[in-house]
Amino acid sequence: MKSIIKRFEIQTRNETEFIDITQTVHQFVENSGITSGIAFILSLHTTTAITVNEGLPDLELDISDMLEKLIPDEGVYHHARFLPSDGQMAVNAPSHLRGALLGFQCFFPIEQGKLFTGSRQTMYFVELDGPQTRTWAIQLLGE
Amino acid sequence: MLDIHTHPVMIKELYERDPDLEKRINDAFGFYFPAQPLKGYLLEMDEAGVDSAVLLPIDATSAHGGCIVSNEQVAELVSQNARFIGFASVDPNLKGSAKQLYQAVRQYGLKGLKLDPSLQQFYPNDPETAYPVYTACAELQIPVLIHMGLSWVPNGLAKFADPLLMEEVAQAFPQVNFILAHFAWPWINEAAMLAIKYPNVFLDTAILYSGTPRDALKRVLAAQIGLEVVERSLADKLLFGTNFPRVDMRRFTRGIKDLGLSPKVLEKITKLNSHKLLKLE
Repeated sequence: MKSIIKRFEIQTRNETEFIDITQTVHQFVENSGITSGIAFILSLHTTTAITVNEGLPDLELDISDMLEKLIPDEGVYHHARFLPSDGQMAVNAPSHLRGALLGFQCFFPIEQGKLFTGSRQTMYFVELDGPQTRTWAIQLLGE
Repeated sequence: MLDIHTHPVMIKELYERDPDLEKRINDAFGFYFPAQPLKGYLLEMDEAGVDSAVLLPIDATSAHGGCIVSNEQVAELVSQNARFIGFASVDPNLKGSAKQLYQAVRQYGLKGLKLDPSLQQFYPNDPETAYPVYTACAELQIPVLIHMGLSWVPNGLAKFADPLLMEEVAQAFPQVNFILAHFAWPWINEAAMLAIKYPNVFLDTAILYSGTPRDALKRVLAAQIGLEVVERSLADKLLFGTNFPRVDMRRFTRGIKDLGLSPKVLEKITKLNSHKLLKLE
């Protein structure tokens, strides 16, 4: 069984931002030579997310509004203090909690050399504490 | 909005050209967050609604063996983007620091002086070390932004950053404008007293000790100092500063906007007071 890992670096531009990575994942799988297996798509950060939904701007806004409603910026959080290990004020609890809610990875099967997804399923890298330089990755396992 | 207090300490391009800089920033400044491209600095400003930002170097040669970003590096960043305003820094413990300040300001067009007595380890009211530098500021007609109060740097000593040390300085140099950074927390009443009394003493809003920027600004400016005092007596003396990247500009900006200040005073604090002090426009 083969294992292939590829990292992708992106510069986000907004505090909350939905970046469509669907075509990148599809192309990587189709060029990988793996015909049967599984693709894991993951973020390497704790204030971002990977999520799957229908790729529509209004849904992106609805998800963003839902996150703000469930985890408001002005809430009271424990994670609101100086963090000596960073040398920074850790004041981004909402970003961490929104990431925890959406999750940090998704996966799809690979069948006959292609990613097995629904036609409306769009994969997003979600920035939740931008702008920052971020890294997400794909791991393919299969033959 | 103009952010009077930012440190260009996590810029990837600077680290690439100055391999020792990251270690100095780690060891002396106590900042360990991974570097980001310069573009990220500007995007953070965009997202926060900050039009321009003052970049502060710190010359800590005698205390820590080098600069936490040099005057030359600040000048280079300023030359790359018109949204940056550069300050200079010199080490008052070194002979010739005043001369060095003349050169930095005249050669690079830097607009003010940054001092951090806690990090640089000098008493800001020392006539031998500090006063020659203030004399140069008077001649150059530039303001001094000076760290006061709590120091987050690992070896920073608060005894050097007591705002009461600045009273005799304000009296001795009435022609120099002094910006006491961080509202000198925890000595906020002493800082407010100086800013209320002396025409040449100003304060910045970079108050960071616990909680979110919104929490800290509300606690200090609204609950402890009182918004009515800010509106009546500090409206022309308070300058918006975030201390980015010790804290992000976005949340700090929301915190200042949510304070409940009148629109006129909010505009003074976030823009007009700094523009006047820096002689912009």
